[in-house]
Amino acid sequence: MADGKTRSPFILRAVPVVVLAVTVVTFTQTPAAQGRRGGGPAPTGPSDTDQRPYDKHDLNGYWSRGPATYKVGDCPECRDTLPIPVPGYGYFGDVPPRTPEGEKRLQATKHARGYEPNSEAAKRYPTLDPAYKRAGLPAFSSDPEQRCEPIGLARSLTMTRGGPGVFEMVQSSDRIIQMFEWGWDFRSIWMDGRTLDKVADLTPRFNGYSVAKWEGDTLVVTSTGFDDRQWVDMFGFPISEKAILVERWERPSPNRLRMQMTLTDPENYTRPWPSSVKTWALIPRQRMALDGAANGWADLLEDRCVPSDEALFNTFRDHAAGKK
Amino acid sequence: MNIQTRLVALLMLVIPAIASAHHGSGISYDVAHLWTTWATITQFNYKNPHPTMTVDRTLKDGQVEHWTTELLTSPAQLSRAGWTKVRSEDALKTGTRLKLWIGTARVGGTSGIVMHLENAMGNEVLQSIGGPSAAPKAVEMDGVPMGLQPTGADKLVPGSAGQADQ
Repeated sequence: MADGKTRSPFILRAVPVVVLAVTVVTFTQTPAAQGRRGGGPAPTGPSDTDQRPYDKHDLNGYWSRGPATYKVGDCPECRDTLPIPVPGYGYFGDVPPRTPEGEKRLQATKHARGYEPNSEAAKRYPTLDPAYKRAGLPAFSSDPEQRCEPIGLARSLTMTRGGPGVFEMVQSSDRIIQMFEWGWDFRSIWMDGRTLDKVADLTPRFNGYSVAKWEGDTLVVTSTGFDDRQWVDMFGFPISEKAILVERWERPSPNRLRMQMTLTDPENYTRPWPSSVKTWALIPRQRMALDGAANGWADLLEDRCVPSDEALFNTFRDHAAGKK
Repeated sequence: MNIQTRLVALLMLVIPAIASAHHGSGISYDVAHLWTTWATITQFNYKNPHPTMTVDRTLKDGQVEHWTTELLTSPAQLSRAGWTKVRSEDALKTGTRLKLWIGTARVGGTSGIVMHLENAMGNEVLQSIGGPSAAPKAVEMDGVPMGLQPTGADKLVPGSAGQADQ
């Protein structure tokens, strides 16, 4: 620090106050509460314009954790609710201690999210895992996303608000295709009886290999065979090729999709890692217009990370960091 | 409303947006101290992960100052709000004069993040979601050399890893 003081910028010092304030605002912005008070914009509609009969085993549709982007009713439960607030979005949950190798891999990464080390905000939460207290400028990050490398399955599932984060589920009798808007990426979740026994012999994939079966009204998806160049989320947590990710998906109401996942990766973590619960809101197709129009061309955007675009952006990013 | 309350109100406006900037841009800029200036677009790039632009500011003594900026929003968010590439590039054509709400890079200098934009008619352009938004509180610095530069705890050493307290 230029002035020798151990102070963090105001934006981080004020985070707890702001989180409380945002929480209050969030819970007063339900569709019913939005109303017409103050002459504000008309309340957005709920996502119940979908006319399909409610079927807990039907996961088809567009799902987003930031439904406001699509002018769909607010979804407070779509936000990560954490015992300790962390700037950014991620896998979260009950973070396990790393193995020596896992810790070494984590420390080899540099990211730009969470709290700055030794900042007042970081010190305010002594029990928060140190992995969330390593934020630096993006210009010095080793985040594979900043090179447009595929971000991988777990990280795609942790994308949350705004444009990145929406996905489409297309379901058939023997598989579900999950298409992620950010990265223009997809995976197949096979339900044709195949197993993961031989996956260790196959070339690792960023999105791994996925199979699923129904347990009552819960779709249990098991994946393995991950390319280990990816991070679990934006905080740099490592994942090995032999890691097993088990997702438990439910459709608890017509307009909500809920998932909790557990990562078992003995190479990097000392015990299984259960994530926080993630919730998505159903976005009616007509709200997916690519130009925001009422009856526009509705679809996922081709929201790719293009290396030449990223390289241009990085020149601005580097300038902002005074990087030579 | 005291200054602390005003600042918290401002942060309530910007933090959700910063959280959506998935490349972590927010940490690079002093978004707690915004300032405004008129500027002329010299280049606008409607590209992922965040749009960028270069602008020229004319100072009170007539000299021209060149700035590089990024926008907090993304092409995906802009598209969903109706700001397609064609519409956005038309609104930010080279030579267009706009009023910018800027947070200067924490290392200082002529780099910043644009949090709000208005055209000569006073209309907001490139708003992402939710329609027109109120202009955030900012210090008027039109024509003032270097605009508002970060100070004290908000300032970083250029070229450092950006971890302020190490």
